[in-house]
Amino acid sequence: MADTAQVASAASSKDPAVGLAAVRSLRVLVERLEELQVGNAREQGWTWEQIAERLGVSRQAVHKKHARGRGPLRRRD
Amino acid sequence: MFERFTPEARQVVEGAQQEARDLQHDRIGTEHLLLALLTRQGTTAASVLGRHGLTRSAVVTEVARSTGTELDASALTSIGIDLDAVRTSVESTFGPGALDGRRGRAGHIPFTPRAKKVLELSLREAIALKSRSITDGHLLLALIREGEGLAAKVLHDRGVDLPALRDEVRLALNS
Repeated sequence: MADTAQVASAASSKDPAVGLAAVRSLRVLVERLEELQVGNAREQGWTWEQIAERLGVSRQAVHKKHARGRGPLRRRD
Repeated sequence: MFERFTPEARQVVEGAQQEARDLQHDRIGTEHLLLALLTRQGTTAASVLGRHGLTRSAVVTEVARSTGTELDASALTSIGIDLDAVRTSVESTFGPGALDGRRGRAGHIPFTPRAKKVLELSLREAIALKSRSITDGHLLLALIREGEGLAAKVLHDRGVDLPALRDEVRLALNS
């Protein structure tokens, strides 16, 4: 119960350092999850179009961010 | 484009990948190029940067300060997210270390758009100085010209006189 109360008070913290650190970590977490899920979708044969639709972004955006194996010094993993 | 790079300049580009890997970063940024330039003792870029008081450890410190720890469990707890629970769930599907980016760490690390821009600008710097090959010095000039990446921020924060640095690199390259 003490933990719950602690979390609740931190979540409503007016201290920008606490709030911004949370936003930053959440962003990192989202990026990690997106990378894993997009990679998984590609491995399962999903098109960039399908992935983009589910993510609610444009096909170009998702392709630019996640496509590998093009351009100089690029190797396939 | 890379065929124009001298062996030293290629080693800087490859060194940047190693720097990113050592720091457990998942992108090669301008800061990793700067670290790789500093590491290659005796090269034009390393000598000029050294004369301006820039050391490898200073850059590592600045980079650590700017990037911070990536996944901060306590910060996530403050908004009610249990990172351990997320990690357990993700690892049950994607395997150990999946959430922490250890999967594929040994493989290729991509460049950030700014680091790519630096590589492109190095060609322009070489052409501007009528050089047929791209050297570590041209890479340093490109880092300065790019001006917005973490490398430029570190140089600025360390009080490096960028116009003077640029002039010295150009002079060294022309001699």
